[in-house]
Amino acid sequence: MGVLDYFRPVSTLPAEKIRAFLNEKKAGEYNLVDVRQPQEYESGHLPGARLIPVGELESRLKELDPHKPTIAY
Amino acid sequence: MRSRAAASILARAGFREVYSMEGGIRAWKGLAASGAPEAGMAHFPPDSPPSKLTALAWLLEKGTQKFYGEAASGLQDSGAARLFAELAAAEERHKGTLYRIHLEIAGAADDPQFPESVFPASAAPEYMEGGVEVAKALEWTRGKSPAEVLEFALALEVNAYDLHLKMEQRMADPRAKKMFARIADEEKEHLHRLQEHFIRVMTPG
Repeated sequence: MGVLDYFRPVSTLPAEKIRAFLNEKKAGEYNLVDVRQPQEYESGHLPGARLIPVGELESRLKELDPHKPTIAY
Repeated sequence: MRSRAAASILARAGFREVYSMEGGIRAWKGLAASGAPEAGMAHFPPDSPPSKLTALAWLLEKGTQKFYGEAASGLQDSGAARLFAELAAAEERHKGTLYRIHLEIAGAADDPQFPESVFPASAAPEYMEGGVEVAKALEWTRGKSPAEVLEFALALEVNAYDLHLKMEQRMADPRAKKMFARIADEEKEHLHRLQEHFIRVMTPG
């Protein structure tokens, strides 16, 4: 991860839109990634979220299917 | 900020459709699960054949059903007792789904001995979803208010949904993947009803 990744334009969606998205999708149709730290994940996470702290994301991309819509939080 | 950086890494790596959640977890008003990534997974050994995983899932649903059934009789509040009866009925439907999946996997028309046909009955204590012993959970409910018991039920259901979604991701065998996906999808549906019901029961007046 480079510092420029913080400034690259990406699509953001309000939580309400994400909730609607997850409600209409079936299990296995999307990637949901929690990029926080393990202790943050443990105290509360979106159901089905995979824990991949942002610092590990680049080395763990193989765990995710790039063809599925992906939500990070 | 972290999620934007993550989304940008993913987009750069060729992920087609990437979103970051505005406001992060603090903006999330939906139900949240808790615990470590592998919480509850010990009940489903990853090298088990799909038939055994189906039987194990069925036994956990049965344990959860028993919990709801018995906890309902101890609840003074009739709204909460009705809700628990409904939850027990939902577990019965999950068991039905798992039984049908078992028949598909086994290629059988019926199997009245299920789950013993796959998993011999044992004298081990009964467990419910989330890996809690049924007897211990029931003991915990004694003397608790209906609100406390309902809160426990909601947490139990969200964590079961979380676990089944994660099992779907973890499984390599497509039959096991499909089994966990179907259970997760059913759970999602009844979680919505449970949440609405929960809000009604918890709102005085």
